[in-house]
Amino acid sequence: MRLSAGAAKMTAVVVLLLLLHFALGPWLGDRRTGPDLLLLGLMVYAMRTSPGRAAVAGFALGLMGDSITVVGFGSGAIAHTCVGYLVAWGRAIFFTDNLIVSAGFFVGGTWFRDLLLLASGGYLWGGALVWQLVFWSLVKGVTTALVGVAVLFVFREWLNVRMSE
Amino acid sequence: MTFTAERYASRGDTVAFVVCIVLAVIARISPPEVTEPIAATIRGTVLAPLLGLQEFATDQKNSRLRYSTILLERDSLAIIALFQDALREENDRLRALVELRSRVPVEHVPAEVLHQSLPTDGLSLVLSAGSRQGVTPLSAVIVPEGLVGVVRSVDANSSVAVFWAHPEFRASAMALDGSLYGNVEPHSGRGLGVQVLELTGVRFGEDIAAGTPIYTSGLGGVYPRGVPLGEILGVASERAGWERTYLVRPAVHPASVSHVIILLDPAADLRAVFADSADQ
Repeated sequence: MRLSAGAAKMTAVVVLLLLLHFALGPWLGDRRTGPDLLLLGLMVYAMRTSPGRAAVAGFALGLMGDSITVVGFGSGAIAHTCVGYLVAWGRAIFFTDNLIVSAGFFVGGTWFRDLLLLASGGYLWGGALVWQLVFWSLVKGVTTALVGVAVLFVFREWLNVRMSE
Repeated sequence: MTFTAERYASRGDTVAFVVCIVLAVIARISPPEVTEPIAATIRGTVLAPLLGLQEFATDQKNSRLRYSTILLERDSLAIIALFQDALREENDRLRALVELRSRVPVEHVPAEVLHQSLPTDGLSLVLSAGSRQGVTPLSAVIVPEGLVGVVRSVDANSSVAVFWAHPEFRASAMALDGSLYGNVEPHSGRGLGVQVLELTGVRFGEDIAAGTPIYTSGLGGVYPRGVPLGEILGVASERAGWERTYLVRPAVHPASVSHVIILLDPAADLRAVFADSADQ
């Protein structure tokens, strides 16, 4: 299977985010608020591919996360599969050409991933769950969105992002 | 800013999604005995280089933190060590002074040197003992290393002494065994900035080896006999057939003096006291 030039460039960006997630992890501050570059890579990929492929990528990414966090194996796969599929599918419904809408996708995707992960994994309950979703997940979504917008801007040529309205 | 969007969900996409969800749910409900080997395999294969990368990054960050911490600790220790050296030096000096006091057989008064931030501080000393403590003008001022100078003027609770570097300083000197005599004064009488003394009036026929210690002779009735003045450095000048002048390295340096002993009896003989110090 040969990748087109556009797909190769997009893959390069996703791989770069994957590597940066592990290489810059120690410098990204509090894990609860720092940007999630793995999820960002998934969402960038999902925005450029079909929902099925995005779901498979999310599943693979989720399993990777589950293998590191040994509790609730499979919950990450469920969450990332849903996020990947919905982000790719959502582009057909929502007008995602706008940069602010893309940022909204990043925030919403991060928050929704956390919701599914916590719900399916049974990690948190009660007040802690509410606090996580109302505060920490939103902050993490914002920081992820900021990085995501920067990535879209820097790689606008590779990702075929048009700067004009 | 716009994206080029042209993807839509197809039946294949839905099937893929459902399959992934079903697999994920199966993984979720599977017991740890089943999932743990899978997780271990993923960690040992796909994730291994990525976790290695993260470990390297964490090490780098920790190394930087440790380096910064070590630098801070080293700087703090350097500052502490700096002051400890000064404290240890002063401690040693005070201990030596206390030992000297116990050996000095004549009446004396301890005093602290009140250093002044003036350029003439090396010529005169303000001492924290005066007439109330029994200090009188022309009292000799000594430290464990030797002679500091002589008291010039006395107030009630303080006094002013001239250091050996003062242009008017003079002392009758001798070798400890009394084999030679002369006069010690600041080299060329230049005053401030003088780092050495000179021993004048030594008979031409007397050859003094470098390193020979020179003491006060007690002649003149100002300084007690046997207080170290310094040691011979070499010949400074000579008048053929008449006399030689030797350079003398002073036993005491002005900046190192913080506490002194003021001797109240100029007729004492301290040769045994300082000979003991030299032996120790």
